Amino acid sequence: MGSLMTDFAISAQHLARSFGETRALVDVSLDIPAGSVCALLGRNGAGKTTTVRILTTLLDPDGGHAQVAGFDIASQADRVRERIGVTGQTATMDELLTGHENLEIIGRFSHLGAAVSGQRADELLEQFDLVDAGTMLVKKYSGGMRRRLDLAASLIANPEVLFLDEPTTGLDPVARSEMWAAIRNLVARGTTVLLTTQYLDEADQLADTIVVVDRGLVVAEGTPEQLKASIGRPSVVVTLVDADQAALEKVRAALGTDAVIRGRSVSAPAADGLETLAAVVTRLEELGVPVHEVGLEHPSLDEVFSTVTHRLGDHSPDAPAAVPA
Amino acid sequence: MSAVALPRQSSVQRGLVDAYNATRRYLIRGKRQPDIIFGSVLFPVIFVVLFGYVFGSSISVPGGNYHSYLMSGLFAQSTLFASSQVAVAVATDMNEGVIDRFKTLPIARSSILIGRSVSTIVLGLPALGVMILCALAVGWRPENGIFDAILGFLLIELFAFALSWLGILAGLIAKSSQAADVISSIPVFLLGFVSNVFVDTSKMPVWLRDFADWNPVSAVVAAGRNLFGNTIGPPPSGVWSLEHPEITTIGLALIIIVVFIPICVRRYSRTSR
Ligand SMILES: Nc1ncnc2c1ncn2[C@@H]1O[C@H](COP(=O)(O)OP(=O)(O)OP(=O)(O)O)[C@@H](O)[C@H]1O
Ligand SMILES: [Mg+2]
Repeated sequence: MGSLMTDFAISAQHLARSFGETRALVDVSLDIPAGSVCALLGRNGAGKTTTVRILTTLLDPDGGHAQVAGFDIASQADRVRERIGVTGQTATMDELLTGHENLEIIGRFSHLGAAVSGQRADELLEQFDLVDAGTMLVKKYSGGMRRRLDLAASLIANPEVLFLDEPTTGLDPVARSEMWAAIRNLVARGTTVLLTTQYLDEADQLADTIVVVDRGLVVAEGTPEQLKASIGRPSVVVTLVDADQAALEKVRAALGTDAVIRGRSVSAPAADGLETLAAVVTRLEELGVPVHEVGLEHPSLDEVFSTVTHRLGDHSPDAPAAVPA
Repeated sequence: MSAVALPRQSSVQRGLVDAYNATRRYLIRGKRQPDIIFGSVLFPVIFVVLFGYVFGSSISVPGGNYHSYLMSGLFAQSTLFASSQVAVAVATDMNEGVIDRFKTLPIARSSILIGRSVSTIVLGLPALGVMILCALAVGWRPENGIFDAILGFLLIELFAFALSWLGILAGLIAKSSQAADVISSIPVFLLGFVSNVFVDTSKMPVWLRDFADWNPVSAVVAAGRNLFGNTIGPPPSGVWSLEHPEITTIGLALIIIVVFIPICVRRYSRTSR
């Protein structure tokens, strides 16, 4: 797989980039092992797209260095371009061309030659369930079809490293899980993937490592498990059949002093995860209130962020994460 | 699992292939926008009728046929309008995501722009054809024979190619397609109308006449008139560019091409940077 100088498919050191007064990236470093999936997780404006644009040679950083597929993004940009596939946050397909023509032209621009380009276009249309749409102008495509075509386009030259900027934003749940399946399929073939997302569950589903960025800084990173453990414990949520106030009070008393009532649910910290859940189920059976649902809820992305920003405000990055109220 | 499937070609070879593919893409797109082609064909017809008959009936040129005199001017002027359209098209392009994708591909940085410029010339050919037919219909004739006439059109197309790069630069600089329209329209109108396109410059006020005589568009028009055999009277004395209009046109076109292609390519590479 090429002459990688390191084991990292993507390696970035202290990337920085400003747009006028806006400091889009302050200091972002990444090391992504070949063949793994890294999710860049962050809110709107966190700097995800800026990072992707720098790593894909679309934007020059103000500071820092990066290597992709073993080549420097600044001095060996064309080498990098030969080895990456990119699906940007916004559509990049030509509305006036058909799906097939779009794929074919990108194959030609990747120097696959006319014949191979046509062949790859056929294969990819098949793979992404766009065979019938292949002869249709892209301007008639739905949002989900465009997204799939965009992903297909970034795969035409079998890239070593794939960048996906919010690949599932705007997709319906079915299309979303199809996209996940397509990404997993690629990873199984050895492609390194850097994807950005605003959804913790997406990062959780797909990524080997998660890097959380906020206001241009890496504020947390690790495997999904490490991250969740560092950010806070799950809570157990009991939802009753109806909002019977007396029953809700009974449940709250049973769940301990930290329990709170929200609508027809009661939630409490689950200090021991599944064990707490099991204990709660037993208690509920004893109480005999009509229960609709009991489950564990993991911290949401919002909680991840308030925790992480809180920690930054403390000026003591090593301090244990405060569990948000 | 390698990204590169073809045997290595030289970078020049690759650059040519990239430029060919980019041109092909713009031609396919062009075919899908028949309204634009229709407009570009209709425009010169309107001009021939408007200037040939509406204004032409009250304009006379000493010792000649005004329709014959006018046509070289309209041929040259259409290249100006085309370059303004290129500016708008490029500004529109640059605001689309597809250009970002091209920039992540290992293609020569010049190829997309070359594709734009070459396809502009090719897609302009139907309009040129219709204009020639109109010209023949109103009485214009290539008096010096077919060979000189072809030379004349080649000269005009060379100038059109050069101008398209000025249009591209305007499109790359402009922040929006509306801005590109404004930026490019001002010189187009100034150079297109303060010239010998419609009238003999000798009757203009002195300050305007100097501008019109030295206007490079006047040289292109004069070169066309010479080659089509529609020249009336000697060139104004002391105006080198009108005394040697063919050399001026070729020289100017080459200078624009040599200077502005690299400027455009550099600007394209750093747009969004
Ligand atoms: N070309 C630009 N000009 C000016 N400011 C920019 C530009 N690109 C990004 N920014 C700013 O930089 C910051 C980071 O933007 P970026 O697009 O990287 O965020 P993001 O994490 O991708 O957000 P989103 O989830 O909304 O896509 C934002 O404040 C944005 O306004
Ligand atoms: Mg973004």
